Amino acid sequence: MLPSFELLMPETLPEALEMLAGYAPDAMPLAGGTNLVPDLRGGKRRPGVLVNVHGLDALQYIGRQDRYVVMGAGVSLADVLESELIGAHGRVLQEAARVFANPLIRNRATVGGNLGNASPAADTVPPLLVLDAELKLASAGESRWVGLEDFFVDVCDTICRHVELITAVRWLVPPPRTFSRFRKLTLRKSTAISVVSVAVRVTLGESGRCVDAAVALGAVAPTPIRVHEAEEVLRGEALTPEVIDRATRFACTAASCIGDVRSSAAYRERVTDVLTRRLLAEAQEWSEEQWERS
Amino acid sequence: MTETVGRPWVRADARAKVTGQAKFPGDFGMADMVHAKILFADRPHARVVSIDTSEAAQVEGVVAIFTAQDVPVNEYGLQTADQPVLCGPGSGKPGADVVRFVGDQVALVVADTRAAAEQARGLMEITYEDLPVVSDPFEALKPGAPQIHPGREASELHPELSTEGNFICHHQIRKGDMEAGWAQADVVVEGQYHTPGQEHAYLQPEAGLAYIDDEGRVAVVVAGQWAWEDQRQIAHALDIPVEEIRVIYPAIGGAFGGREDMSVQIVLALAAYRLQRPVKITWTREESIRGHCKRHPMWFRCKWGATREGELVAAEVQVVADGGAYCYTTNKVLGNTTITCTGPYAFPNAKVDVDGVYTNNPPSGAMRGFGAPQGIFAAEMQMNKLAEALGMDPVALRMRNLLQDEMPTTTGTPLAGGVHLQEVTERCALAAGWERAEEGWRKPAAKGVALAGRPKEAMRTGMGMAVGFKNVGFSFGYQENCWLRIELRGEDDIERAIVTIGTADVGQGAHTVLQQMAAEALQVSMERVSLEASDTGTSPGSSGSASASRTTFMAGNAIREAAALALDGWREGERPAVVEHTYLAPETTPLDPDTGEGFPNFAYGYVAQVVEVVVDVETGELRVRRVVCADDVGKAINPEQVEGQIEGGVVQAMGWVTCENFIAQAGRVLTPHLSTYLIPTIADVPERMETIIVEKPDPRGPWGARGMGEMPFLPLAPALLAAVHDATGVWIDEFPLTPERVLRSLRDGGSLLECDWE
Ligand SMILES: Cc1cc2nc3c(=O)[nH]c(=O)nc-3n(C[C@H](O)[C@H](O)[C@H](O)COP(=O)(O)OP(=O)(O)OC[C@H]3O[C@@H](n4cnc5c(N)ncnc54)[C@H](O)[C@@H]3O)c2cc1C
Repeated sequence: MLPSFELLMPETLPEALEMLAGYAPDAMPLAGGTNLVPDLRGGKRRPGVLVNVHGLDALQYIGRQDRYVVMGAGVSLADVLESELIGAHGRVLQEAARVFANPLIRNRATVGGNLGNASPAADTVPPLLVLDAELKLASAGESRWVGLEDFFVDVCDTICRHVELITAVRWLVPPPRTFSRFRKLTLRKSTAISVVSVAVRVTLGESGRCVDAAVALGAVAPTPIRVHEAEEVLRGEALTPEVIDRATRFACTAASCIGDVRSSAAYRERVTDVLTRRLLAEAQEWSEEQWERS
Repeated sequence: MTETVGRPWVRADARAKVTGQAKFPGDFGMADMVHAKILFADRPHARVVSIDTSEAAQVEGVVAIFTAQDVPVNEYGLQTADQPVLCGPGSGKPGADVVRFVGDQVALVVADTRAAAEQARGLMEITYEDLPVVSDPFEALKPGAPQIHPGREASELHPELSTEGNFICHHQIRKGDMEAGWAQADVVVEGQYHTPGQEHAYLQPEAGLAYIDDEGRVAVVVAGQWAWEDQRQIAHALDIPVEEIRVIYPAIGGAFGGREDMSVQIVLALAAYRLQRPVKITWTREESIRGHCKRHPMWFRCKWGATREGELVAAEVQVVADGGAYCYTTNKVLGNTTITCTGPYAFPNAKVDVDGVYTNNPPSGAMRGFGAPQGIFAAEMQMNKLAEALGMDPVALRMRNLLQDEMPTTTGTPLAGGVHLQEVTERCALAAGWERAEEGWRKPAAKGVALAGRPKEAMRTGMGMAVGFKNVGFSFGYQENCWLRIELRGEDDIERAIVTIGTADVGQGAHTVLQQMAAEALQVSMERVSLEASDTGTSPGSSGSASASRTTFMAGNAIREAAALALDGWREGERPAVVEHTYLAPETTPLDPDTGEGFPNFAYGYVAQVVEVVVDVETGELRVRRVVCADDVGKAINPEQVEGQIEGGVVQAMGWVTCENFIAQAGRVLTPHLSTYLIPTIADVPERMETIIVEKPDPRGPWGARGMGEMPFLPLAPALLAAVHDATGVWIDEFPLTPERVLRSLRDGGSLLECDWE
């Protein structure tokens, strides 16, 4: 049963931030509620006050600002899926949105909620990690930008303070000739939590070699992780099978998988290997096409 | 003239359900009503030493707390009353102080609000003395194993029920001469198989409202499958006459067998009776998954022999079924397993042993197919392996051995009602692309498939087939029957025909079909027929359970016979013309305890399926690309509903084989939510689904109809596993086929089933 709580309905962002400040640490923001409501029902969280931020205008935009793609934290996964801008400059995120839950959940679930909830399996995170995304954390009268990689602390734990709200997410428009893709393995075709998820970004230079690369994994550690060792291997190299193999092995080493009702640790390790290898092989095929075209 | 039968009438309940107006048990409320919460044991095996309600009773709004000592006759059960209504001391029933699975009910807390009931439930002080837990049926049969129901008595009604150790029941077949059979066999295939449990996952979790009706009866509004039987069991536990209990089924949100045994009925009735006030309860999904039975997990050890030419000569099958903490319908379920585990084939020699075993797992009970899906799985795995061993096409091997009219089954008697196994097999195989060439049947070559983001070399496609059959009705000596009443009103013409019947519409559309059959039998339009159903207050007779694929067959025949009688009366001038009638199905016999000989059933349904899959051999993921299903339904009274049943049955079976993974560890349920117990979504259904409705009439079925609700479930598992074998070359002998299990089996070259058979 849903426990009792006080629900506050601010009309503006400053009002929301005031409310959070006023009731901290007993208040929590409520966005789409697709994590929070089940958690309340299950007794996993017991806030006295919920501050509804769903639908606040100030959190509902996707646009370009200088060299950045910027979106409000209140953007839904359905919005992400439909955005041409994200399609052009953040395809990896759109791929994650495409396999996120189901259409009903995508209409309600927000990017801010996915980040704020800080599940190790949160599907927007590996894509945003490979895009080197930053988050804007705002509190009454203050705000700061933090790198997404520094945001997560542990399972369901972030550096976001009780008085703070994630208000925006941004990333630099990737250079031309950038490949970015996302894959997740699930136990059914829709409405399923990732057993493992992998995001890869590769940017090619003039020579056809990889000048920049990023690899991120979900559901293989207490928080989603970047695999910098794998990226080191890729940088400056052509994507040969040998390079792909070495990078993949670093990805597997970085994973510290655990077993649960969905999968054993060993199977997660195996899937980390397969998905990483496949995405890099796809990047390699893509890079050949690029080369042929130029 | 057939105007209404055989046409796709829109379901009578469609509009109300689509618009949200249909009322399910959880939607009922009354002024003055109080709310109940059940305290579940939440431990698999323990003695309740004491119950302290004092703190809980202090919570504001608490009206009453009921425990074992408040239950007049603290026992219930469909086949044998082996389950306490409330577990705890003081009821006078020996053994009722023991909880035997996590979903056993210990107390009912009633309060003005749900919140108060829930809060008080949390303050109940129960002192338990934990008992050793046995969760593996093979362990449960060993000497020295913890005993789940010591000192139980033999049942006169059900002699197959055992009193020994943790055996629930035993069935066996001894046919022919096994030695001679093996001597004739050129090829012998041995296999071990495991089929898992399955959660019904009906849309609507258990709920109900009980109150005292205008006539002073305790009325219980609830979802079930056999109102009359619920009524009987409630009356027994409350120790009051049956007439003082009234069971009403409103719209039912699915059942699939999971509502054959009771959940909230008795405690609700008890509370309403004692408090003389309306009492309401609604289970959460978690309570539902922990609180009701599952499909029987089973283990099989099979040895089948055939001649070089592919003639089946001998089958030996041993089955162990985990019955969980209480009997429920285990003896009946395993009767079906006994006759299906050698498949729909003519074996001259057969030896079958089937044991049901008590453990501290959630009870196993009825679920769509009722023991047949498990039996058919083992049989058809054996058959597909035999085809491989013989180098024969699987269709050809079947065509040679399928039962036909007048051929004796393993029980020594032929299948009743016309046998059309060859028809369904042939129609299905041809539709799926098999060729019937000069030299015999030829399977189509597998087509490759390209899927974005997956390397071509990792994608393997395959096609597999299987055949199934199952009885209609419970039978095995039980006299199947169905009561109903028909009242014809009007002057010159029949202006209104009122059909009163106990039969439940559990969501399968039964009431629409009954209305169609009544209109047809009475030769009136659909609009003139009204159905008053599922209320023991208006239907004093038993119309039987909405299960065992029996409803259309039984109620249809009852309608036909009663309509003829009512029309006689009408013609003689009776106004209104009223008939109360009980249809009696043809007699059957139980299986002989030593040989298994007998005539267990009066009707059957037949089905064949071909499944195509694609397997990703690097991740173990699989996708069902196509299912072809040919189902002999005798006569499709409502073709659209038949198609719905076929598609639904296929998807539910696909869930059982692929993603549904019910995990209990040492008796504790680890998947009590639909986020961990994954049923197929619309994205998981087969990419192509072709249904072939075969109409070979059963001479005793109404308008020729056979039962059909369970049949589409039967062959899917073995057909799918055969497709996986076709794709990968590996036989996987157990499921669900989680990607992890598929990958592990590919690595190991098969399943490594380890059971302690001795
Ligand atoms: C059926 C189902 C399927 C799902 N499938 C997926 C899936 O495929 N992939 C996946 O990743 N997730 C999935 N989820 C989980 C969930 O939908 C997502 O995590 C979603 O993005 C959460 O967003 P929300 O807006 O609903 O957040 P809420 O539930 O409202 O909030 C989640 C948490 O974030 C906090 N929060 C919300 N907004 C902010 C903010 N602006 N700043 C700081 N903290 C904030 C809340 O206080 C809360 O702790 C699924 C959930 C369900 C119920």
